[in-house]
Amino acid sequence: MSTTLAPEGPARARLRPRWPRQAGGQPLAVIGATLVAAWLVVAVLAPYLAPHDPLAQSAEAFAAPSSEHLFGTDELGRDVFSRVLYGARISLPLGLLLVVLAAAIGGILGGLAGYFRGWTDGVVMRTTDLVFAFPAIILAMVVTAALGPGLTNAVLALVIVAWPSYARVVRSLVLSVADSEYVWATRLLGSSSRRTLVREVLPNVVGPVLVLATLDVGNAILLLSGLSFLGLGAQPPDPEWGSMVATGTQFFQFWWIGTFPGLAIFSAVLAFNFIGDSLRDVFDPRTARESRERM
Amino acid sequence: MRRPRVPLPPFVRFLLRRAAALLLLCLGTTVIAFGFTQLVPGDPVAANLGEQAAADPAAVAAFEDRYGLDEPVPVQYLIYLRNLLRGDLGESLQDHQPVRENLATYVPASAELAILSTLVAVFVGVAFGIAAAVRRNRLGDHALRVVSLVGISMPTFWIALLALYIFFFRLGWFPGGDRLDPGILAPPHVTGMYTIDAALAGQWDVMVNAFHHLVLPALVLAAYNVGLLTRYTRSAVLEVIGNDYVRAARAKGLAERVVLLRHVLRAALPSVVTVIGLVFANVLTGTVLVETIFAWPGIGQYAYRSAVTLDLPSIMGVGLFVAVVYISINFVVDVLYGVIDPRIRVT
Repeated sequence: MSTTLAPEGPARARLRPRWPRQAGGQPLAVIGATLVAAWLVVAVLAPYLAPHDPLAQSAEAFAAPSSEHLFGTDELGRDVFSRVLYGARISLPLGLLLVVLAAAIGGILGGLAGYFRGWTDGVVMRTTDLVFAFPAIILAMVVTAALGPGLTNAVLALVIVAWPSYARVVRSLVLSVADSEYVWATRLLGSSSRRTLVREVLPNVVGPVLVLATLDVGNAILLLSGLSFLGLGAQPPDPEWGSMVATGTQFFQFWWIGTFPGLAIFSAVLAFNFIGDSLRDVFDPRTARESRERM
Repeated sequence: MRRPRVPLPPFVRFLLRRAAALLLLCLGTTVIAFGFTQLVPGDPVAANLGEQAAADPAAVAAFEDRYGLDEPVPVQYLIYLRNLLRGDLGESLQDHQPVRENLATYVPASAELAILSTLVAVFVGVAFGIAAAVRRNRLGDHALRVVSLVGISMPTFWIALLALYIFFFRLGWFPGGDRLDPGILAPPHVTGMYTIDAALAGQWDVMVNAFHHLVLPALVLAAYNVGLLTRYTRSAVLEVIGNDYVRAARAKGLAERVVLLRHVLRAALPSVVTVIGLVFANVLTGTVLVETIFAWPGIGQYAYRSAVTLDLPSIMGVGLFVAVVYISINFVVDVLYGVIDPRIRVT
């Protein structure tokens, strides 16, 4: 997964950004947070919000959008609106899970590499090089082709693709923080190495990893829906957004079948990217919009 | 008597170091690909030969012999590597053609698409990025920020679907897929890229037709990278635009356009060049999604067909090929970066 966060930025990353003051200048963050919240509500309440059963083939097939079927019906007469609502229960939790898993695995491995250095560092870093040698979706396709298609394997494949960015960031943060004078100072004052790690090193790592993770959620949803679009993720009849767009491409004269699920992916990904981009502004003032320096 | 060692010039050392890394990485990808073929659940013979051939004892014996399947795993890897070096990527389960020949057929179509798309993305993205940086914090900057975020948030396969619906089905401005209209013969094979081959053969109507087919998928493929490059260029330009030498250039009365192109962009270029590898990776990713929709007979569609039919040799072949291309592009970018910015060579 491509990320743009500079790994060499620990000194600039402030631990506690001044949220209240910054939020006023970040309308995109507010829009993004609202959209994400709305999608989360939809995901939780889908059974109550959906007018029809997402799997029921009760209506006429290929019916255009109407008051009865807001987004029309698909090739099997299923209600597209209900399927889009239910789709939030697949894409959002799995996208979040994927990022959490990748951040946890990458964070631990990167932390170990930065802390122990030596051959641990060598092995972990060369492995990240290797994973980075493949474009994400190609490697994910190779993995799902080897393991067999399905949502679980698709998530697994994307975790394999995504963990190295976290490993690299955490490693370089741990390396630079562990060498900083204030960490030496606490150690000289008699702090144990575990206490130093937890009290001094960890807090400096959490912020940037959080930014990276937020930036990644949108990407994760995008890639997961891409794999499902290719038929390697969700399997029919699951109401998954990517596979619904795939159906739409087969019957593209009935535009509503693919357009609305795609719009759902787009809005969810855009929401996370709005938040991520604003977060980066807060953490990386060099290129921020609200800035005191220069010009 | 030992002659004293003459130290190599720094740039040669830099080149050698990068080349060694390139080779190691390529070797690593073969380990990964081999590892995955070992991971496949079930019978590797069936997975590589297909059910039908696996029922034939003679075919199985020949296969086991060719890949040394009765040898220990490390030896199997060496045999696999030897086969790779001979250009043997195995046989596709779909059409029983050597994977290498399939790749040779499909790669030019994708290359044509990828090159045009990358060119469009670089021109538009860099222009947008400069425009945003110059208008920092003003309306234009904010608008371009939203445009670039929209660009990286739209699923490529969804844009492809919308583009096909609007520009082919509704408006009829562009053809709905494939590389040429039915009835038009492909130009004589030179590069395999139809626009170039047609131009070389002087078949201008074929060239126009091929280009007409190329435009829509290339633009769809460019959307994500336009968003990405806008962001990168904007930050890269902002890094240098406040420097004293830019102020000096302005102070001596140079036109703003000259200052931007000759002084600012030139200094910002190295950081933009480093993203080209990423841009290319995105294009390769995108081709898988776009080619299936536009019925474009390239490696993306080949990879897709191989993945859904669980054609392991083919998907591994595409994976290896793409990885090696990607690693090589990053190598070229690294070297270019060293040429543009000499400070890099030292470290």
